[in-house]
Amino acid sequence: MSVKTMSDATLDKRNAGQSRFSALGSAFIADGFTMYPVLLVLVIVGAIVAPRFATTANLVNILEQVSVLGLTTIGLTFVVLIGRLDLSLEGIVGFAPMFAAVTLVPAAAGGLGIELPAWAGLIVALGTAGLIGYFNGFMVVRVGLNPFISTLGLLVLLRGGVLILSNGRSIYSPGKAFTYLGSENLLGIPVSVLVFVVVATVVGLILRYHRYGRALYAIGGNEEAARAAGINVDRMIWSAFVFAALLAGLAGVLMTGRLDSAVTTQGQGIIFSAFAAAVIGGVSLGGGRGTIVGVVSGVLLIGVINNLLTLAQVSSFYVQASTGAVIIIAAVLTTIASRRSSGVRTRT
Amino acid sequence: MSGFTPADTGTIRIADTEVEANGHNYAASIRNDIAHVQQTPQLFNLLTVAENLLIENPSVQRKFGVVSRGRMLAQATELLGKWNMDIQPNSLAGELGAGTRQLLEIMKALSRGVPVMILDEPTAALSNAERRMLFDQVKVLKAAGVSFIYISHHLDEIFEVADTVTILRDGQVVKAREPVSGLDVETIADLMMGKKTVRSAREDHTNHQVPALLQAKGIRIDQFSEDDIDFQIYPGEIVALAGPVGGGKEALAMILAGQQKPEGGEVVSPRGAFPTIGLVPTDRHASGYVGILGVRENVAIGGLGMLSDTFGFIRKRREANHVGRLVRQTNVIASSLEQPVSQLSGGNQQKVVFARALCRNPEVIVALSPTRGVDVGAKEQLYALLRDLASKGLGVIVVSDEEDEIEQLANRVVIVFEGRIVDELVGKYTMTDLILHMEGVV
Repeated sequence: MSVKTMSDATLDKRNAGQSRFSALGSAFIADGFTMYPVLLVLVIVGAIVAPRFATTANLVNILEQVSVLGLTTIGLTFVVLIGRLDLSLEGIVGFAPMFAAVTLVPAAAGGLGIELPAWAGLIVALGTAGLIGYFNGFMVVRVGLNPFISTLGLLVLLRGGVLILSNGRSIYSPGKAFTYLGSENLLGIPVSVLVFVVVATVVGLILRYHRYGRALYAIGGNEEAARAAGINVDRMIWSAFVFAALLAGLAGVLMTGRLDSAVTTQGQGIIFSAFAAAVIGGVSLGGGRGTIVGVVSGVLLIGVINNLLTLAQVSSFYVQASTGAVIIIAAVLTTIASRRSSGVRTRT
Repeated sequence: MSGFTPADTGTIRIADTEVEANGHNYAASIRNDIAHVQQTPQLFNLLTVAENLLIENPSVQRKFGVVSRGRMLAQATELLGKWNMDIQPNSLAGELGAGTRQLLEIMKALSRGVPVMILDEPTAALSNAERRMLFDQVKVLKAAGVSFIYISHHLDEIFEVADTVTILRDGQVVKAREPVSGLDVETIADLMMGKKTVRSAREDHTNHQVPALLQAKGIRIDQFSEDDIDFQIYPGEIVALAGPVGGGKEALAMILAGQQKPEGGEVVSPRGAFPTIGLVPTDRHASGYVGILGVRENVAIGGLGMLSDTFGFIRKRREANHVGRLVRQTNVIASSLEQPVSQLSGGNQQKVVFARALCRNPEVIVALSPTRGVDVGAKEQLYALLRDLASKGLGVIVVSDEEDEIEQLANRVVIVFEGRIVDELVGKYTMTDLILHMEGVV
């Protein structure tokens, strides 16, 4: 029987020296930095081929463009980390600000005629989003539906709801306070970028250092083990859906602010980009793996590629097709990298 | 040998098939020569019993691979009859109990008529009666010329079924084809462990002077239970819940651990505040550890509350100290605290699960099948751990199918059958007492 003597926290230090480099590599991948070298290469290439790319104005522009997608993807990450998914986030991006907008504008402009003050629109939008998330949680936890089906149904329902609320027309100028987050600058930086940075930082810290984040990873890794460890799994799942919906609602508010109108097609297709960004950033669709650092890299990658192709005056048809190709390539890279580093097979 | 795990080098010759080890799975190429029953049943839960038994079996196939349903049902019924199994051939495999599933798996392999059978820990989930049924069938087939490779931790089984023994330790053959008649239990155990071992003896730290830690009053496990269960555990006491598979011992343990709602009755604590309970679930792969997370994170999820500050953020220093202490206490061996638990050996995985259960400084430990699939050395360490916990005044509830384990640990044995407590052994009982009581002879 080869029982090693237990000293120094029973750690086997023999291999520490030779594997320090590979340990560094594993940490690099596990912490979500895999895609940053790729991003750096893209930025350098972009700066060389397109002179207009590397200007401050353009880089800020990219950040502003990705902030909506970024918030949605961070929201999605909550649910994907616990091995679930939420397609209705796309519906929330459109529905929550539309519902708020119709409570703000006069009846003549397509509103409900309530004409709440503009700041109250924020509460209405986020409240609506939160309720929708609560409903999703209820369906998954209490009713026991597969989230794919329940949130798909809700997505279609919300799409219809937007058309019913707005009578099929966009709502213009919902009010200054309501559009502030998406349209104004603070200290020369768009407020939407600041919102994105703050949310990413806070959620990143929570996932990494807070007990809430630890519990999310545990549930995603093995739900039954988390239950046996005394984690209230049902409440965690429920709350993850609420947080996801709240962030999607916030993303919708930013979008409405930027356009200064609640558009009926708002948010369409964003859930696919969000999934793509999450997967590129190393979030495992099976749950239990993924960091905000990675998610941000995925979001930035999609933003930079779109921007570069547009600057290069590539036809928008090609932009869409090439984004698809990038998603597949990036997903392959992430999967290989994580398998190499941890030896654990993940399915992305 | 069965081709599920590719070997690194070498060749295997089975009857007229020769296989070169080239790092690829070759299970399909030798399926007519070897049948392998794995430790955990590999049944298709959503197919019926008959479909499971006769899947890929040529006798039920007509032209073009069309499967004959009628022939399948008839054959399955006959097969079940031969084994005296009281189940419908068209019920779903997923609905059956663990023991029955294991038997089905064995029947499936035995009925294929191959010359060589590999049985890997076939009795892990079987009750004593089921085990005897299995041994009878093995003897019948052996007389008919089928060779068996029987993998087991249970040394008594070896003497019952085996002719020769080959002992492996750390991937090396220690003893090859040794006739069983020239060996005894102690010799085999010593060879397996590589040194002289003493079976450890139980200790009694029960403290009846103080109120019980946990008291169950009038518990009914499910709607089929007819009797109320009353149960209590005192500090320092190790209680074993025993009884046949499916008899309710695991359900009772889960109810006591607060993980399952009873049909009736309640679990209370005579001391007012409900004690903290640490749970070691029965199947560590399914519900014990989180494979993709490291040792540190796995242990810490057992006590996130006490490791974090008022805002819920984890205190790194406190976590490192606490987890380090638990890992030392449970003797986990890992390359670092960040090593994914899925990469550890079975014994170390189980120790991680114990460390996690202890993370919240529990007053009661509920351990289901605490040493299932754990090597002999780790087993002894876990026994020592449980005794040590009892000596510190914890109440320990162990659910086990192994007489050996119970005899080495438990101060009190509670036998649960058909959802009620049918028997109880306290104090100085012998192994013979235990076996007789567990089999319901007394």
